[in-house]
Amino acid sequence: MSTSSLITDGHDDRPSNIDATAKFAGEGRTVASSGLKLFMWILAAAAALGIVGIIVRFIDDGGREEWGYYAATLAFMLTMFGGAPMIAIAPTIAKANWARPAARIGSLASIATAITALLLIPLMFKLPALTEFSDVLGDDVRRRSIWFDSPIYAPHFWNPLILATLAVVGLAMAYVMAIPDFAAIRDHGTGWKQRWARNLARGFHGRPQQWEWLMMRIGITGALYFAMLLYVNFTFSIDLAVSLVPGWKDAIFPFYHTLGSFQAGLSFTILGIWAARRWGGVSKYVGHEQMWSLGKLLLATTLLWFYFFYSSFIVFWYGRSQADSSTIELLVSGPYVYLFAAVFLFAFIAPWWVMIWNKVRDSVWGPPIAAVLVLFGLFMDRVRIYVASWSATPDDLELATTGILEKMPPTQWPDVFDVFIMAGLPALGLLGILLATRLVPVISLWEIQQSRLITKPVRYLRTRVLLVGKPD
Amino acid sequence: MQQRRILDEVTINRELLRGNLATPKWWLPTVLGLLVVVIFGFTLMGIMFNRGLGVTGLSRPVYWGLFITTFVFWVGISHAGIMISAILRLTQAEWRRPVTRAAELLTVFSLLTALFFPLIHAGRPWRIFYWITPFDFARGIFPNARSPLIWDPFAIGTYLTGSTLFLYVALLPDLGVLRDRTTGWKHSFYTVASLGWRGNPRQWRLQTVAGILLSALMLPIFVSVHSIVSWDFAVTPSVEGWHSTIFAPYFVIGAVHSGVSAVVTMMALMRWLWGWDNYIRPEHFDALARLLIVVALGWMGFTFAELIFGVYSLEAPERALREMQMFTWPWNLLFIIFFLTAFAIPVPLWFFKRVRNNIALMFWTSILVNIGMWLERFLIIVPGLSRKQPFVFTWDTYQVSPLEWGLLLWSFAWVLMLMLLFSKFFPLIPLFETKESQVFTTDVTIGRVTIPAVVRELD
Amino acid sequence: MVTAAERVSSHKWGMAVDVDRCTGCQACVMACQTENNIPLSTEDIYRQKRTFAWIRIERYWYGDFPNVKARFIPIMCQHCENAPCEPVCPVFATYHNTEGMNVQIYNRCVGTRYCGAGCPYNVRFFNYWEPVWPSTLRNQLNPDVTIRSRGIMEKCSFCVQRIRRGVREAAQEDRDLVDGEIQTACTDACPTNALVFGDFNDDNSRVSIMSHDDRKYTHLDSLNTEPNVVYLAQIDATGGAIGEHE
Repeated sequence: MSTSSLITDGHDDRPSNIDATAKFAGEGRTVASSGLKLFMWILAAAAALGIVGIIVRFIDDGGREEWGYYAATLAFMLTMFGGAPMIAIAPTIAKANWARPAARIGSLASIATAITALLLIPLMFKLPALTEFSDVLGDDVRRRSIWFDSPIYAPHFWNPLILATLAVVGLAMAYVMAIPDFAAIRDHGTGWKQRWARNLARGFHGRPQQWEWLMMRIGITGALYFAMLLYVNFTFSIDLAVSLVPGWKDAIFPFYHTLGSFQAGLSFTILGIWAARRWGGVSKYVGHEQMWSLGKLLLATTLLWFYFFYSSFIVFWYGRSQADSSTIELLVSGPYVYLFAAVFLFAFIAPWWVMIWNKVRDSVWGPPIAAVLVLFGLFMDRVRIYVASWSATPDDLELATTGILEKMPPTQWPDVFDVFIMAGLPALGLLGILLATRLVPVISLWEIQQSRLITKPVRYLRTRVLLVGKPD
Repeated sequence: MQQRRILDEVTINRELLRGNLATPKWWLPTVLGLLVVVIFGFTLMGIMFNRGLGVTGLSRPVYWGLFITTFVFWVGISHAGIMISAILRLTQAEWRRPVTRAAELLTVFSLLTALFFPLIHAGRPWRIFYWITPFDFARGIFPNARSPLIWDPFAIGTYLTGSTLFLYVALLPDLGVLRDRTTGWKHSFYTVASLGWRGNPRQWRLQTVAGILLSALMLPIFVSVHSIVSWDFAVTPSVEGWHSTIFAPYFVIGAVHSGVSAVVTMMALMRWLWGWDNYIRPEHFDALARLLIVVALGWMGFTFAELIFGVYSLEAPERALREMQMFTWPWNLLFIIFFLTAFAIPVPLWFFKRVRNNIALMFWTSILVNIGMWLERFLIIVPGLSRKQPFVFTWDTYQVSPLEWGLLLWSFAWVLMLMLLFSKFFPLIPLFETKESQVFTTDVTIGRVTIPAVVRELD
Repeated sequence: MVTAAERVSSHKWGMAVDVDRCTGCQACVMACQTENNIPLSTEDIYRQKRTFAWIRIERYWYGDFPNVKARFIPIMCQHCENAPCEPVCPVFATYHNTEGMNVQIYNRCVGTRYCGAGCPYNVRFFNYWEPVWPSTLRNQLNPDVTIRSRGIMEKCSFCVQRIRRGVREAAQEDRDLVDGEIQTACTDACPTNALVFGDFNDDNSRVSIMSHDDRKYTHLDSLNTEPNVVYLAQIDATGGAIGEHE
């Protein structure tokens, strides 16, 4: 029995490649709507307030604990914007076609990562040196860190550098992935955009050799980005959180942090798609399929969040050594217990409850709800972790013999400038991304076109199915 | 790359039921040979019951040794089945199809083997009922729910039950085929076993739904089993090398690493022993090797973090432990072998497409991985206990006794023998999956190239 | 059934060890061996690294050559209030009783050895073999103490048989227990009184007084085990206390 006899052509209601080109590269998308303009102005105002907040923090020149919210905000930006480009990479590696239209939104987040890297530099002046306790304990005694015998300002030097490298790799990837679209704008667009695109497309004409070149570079930058993301999360989370707290020894934490990055990146992409559909008029190109698949991933990462959290929690809780108990108290049951409850509710319980329903995952409104919950929960999570870590100041420590946080620091409440920082800095990142979408199509044109080539709705006996080619 | 051959259903039935409807020449001698080893192993257990655990090499600080290592190892292998069947089923990976049955089988049999070890390693194994059964036996007390050793039997018991069901549900259509092709007592046996399978649409729907439901239900169990096994170690604050928060996911991903490798080993054996070249093709090895690269890299990341955080605390006992684990003879040799076999040799090799498509090489690299993964568990358990706390006076080590090695050998012979016995009565490659795969794949022509394509259901 | 009222005990048994007084003579080890029917640690057993000593003297060297000195620390079960060995036992063979003691119930034990792995002080001993005594020693076995068969864990019981007898005798004579009336085998045997046994709930007992000494420390504080055995640090001849172990 031959297979192909069972398969007959199905009805194809997807917009054609020519339509897509006209929509994303042609006349149709030159002017920003007034609503978008207004929104961008609001973001700019918030960003300005955020900058004011940073300046006030500096003039204030308070103790380390006052910088907790700033550190938490940066950690959140790294979490969200750093994780989003993974949506552009992981499905490519797994040859999943559904993700193609979402790739652009994910990859553009690197612009915000670059801003995060810049914003990290001021914080480094507040990070204690590795020899923080040498006054008390003697010159050759260092605080716990992953830098062991490196120069005493190694974390201060490397963290912004690594984050900047991540941003550069991410931007390179975003650029490489946009080249065919620039070529399309060059050929079909008008005005300033066409001039920009002509330069940026770098003579891309879609020759087989050029495509090969392009794919290779996407592969290389993608793999590099993934490795860098792990590395950034590893150093960032240990240097700016774990190693500031005596007795906190938590090998899963960097991975918990990275997982949060995936979770937030997914949420960001989901919200991006939703916004593009809602206001960008691209509902024919992205929708159910992406939401359904991203929603599944969001559900999986949400469950993993609980798993990673619980893995460390049970070990501390059951172990109940002094270090274990103080770590749990600082991060969970102590000064930030309500914050922790909020994290648990918003990063796990609520999105889980929303996303377990097939109907919800299969809608265009369901995943964005979960995404908002997750982003809020993860922001609170970063606040919980970083504010607590930065408030464990040296005065509270009896590090000499035990490496245990002896005196629990009090709850550190945000002041108005902390609120400015928390609202303004992510707004600045978002503004950068929105500005970029003025030039680059928000949905990856060539990916849509390519996926149209290798997929085809057909009928299998009486059922409508999708035939998906699997090229090597 | 056009490897796929269009096979008609008659051929599929004939070739895949080769081992069931006839007996290959090598089958009986191999099973008998394995049986000798198995009987030898049971004799060793008898000796141990009779004379006490003194016949092992265990010592005072090192109360857990090879038996627990082997227990963790086999529980690890058991993660193959659900990884391949459930996860790949839910993600609709087409290449899983010929491998599912063997992987599930490996799960069931390796769990059966794993269960032996904590039981025979108990001091008074004839009393384990107090331990593993939730019943108070007129003693006035139930088992201690706080003990991770209570969580273990529950987790593994659930996993074993679930996997067996999973295996059985996937076996039903094939049992129907066998029923129709046998006579005599075999016919009666398959008639009962196939539960009246006729292959009507309703039964297929039920079977598919059951498969998907079981997949989804098994996933949390899959994660929990090895996490709980890891918590046997991780919740103990006294042992520096064990008390690590990373253990649960670290053990799970390590288990997937060794389990998927074991599936590769099995696939190569199946291809060679039964000559199923049309079903287990290089492309399957290729796909598994790609999966293994991802898993191995992730696992290495966890290993790295575990080691970094080991020395991170700058505590003396922890340093002594790491020094023993990595730099003291003979542990340093074991550590090097572990690192080379579990990661440094196989993973770079898998990056080459030629290696991934070479079945002999895949066979040997997958065996290497499992040598390394066994050593990994050994290197976690024994040095941890040897260098527990700063009381250097009681630091001591452990020499594995020949009897323990004998039981390790037994475990392999036992699993292989069960597999071969199973293969006599049930098809090792699912017939219906193979046939379904034949209809679900086709070729499409785009421009001048022809590429393989699969059918995806639209919701 | 034990009622709630009966659970509350007036005693909290414990021990104080003055490390400064310990000469490392091992009399306590011998006394414990005899009192508690501990299997013999023969040369064979020693080679198998399975020696039994419910109390042992750990010897550490300190100082630089030529002024090297030995420090002896008697280590027995610390009867932790927060014992790592207790929650991990699947069959409740070890648990904390109401008198501050960590108790091992031989009959329940199935021999998973998890408690032994979990004990940071390494004071739990597993019977790898059926214990045997030469015929000459048969008659000296203490009839008050169970002989442990192979396959189970055992450890220091604070000579619970002596505690029970002391409490019973006091009750029969209708009087309160006197501090020092109940002695464990090791405290009985200690020639320098380095080991002191008593009731922490009695504020005037010697252990209570010693536990308020400036030199007091407990082992492995960082594990939060809250031992009922307290140690008094050694005083160096050159003055000043030598810090606690590690």
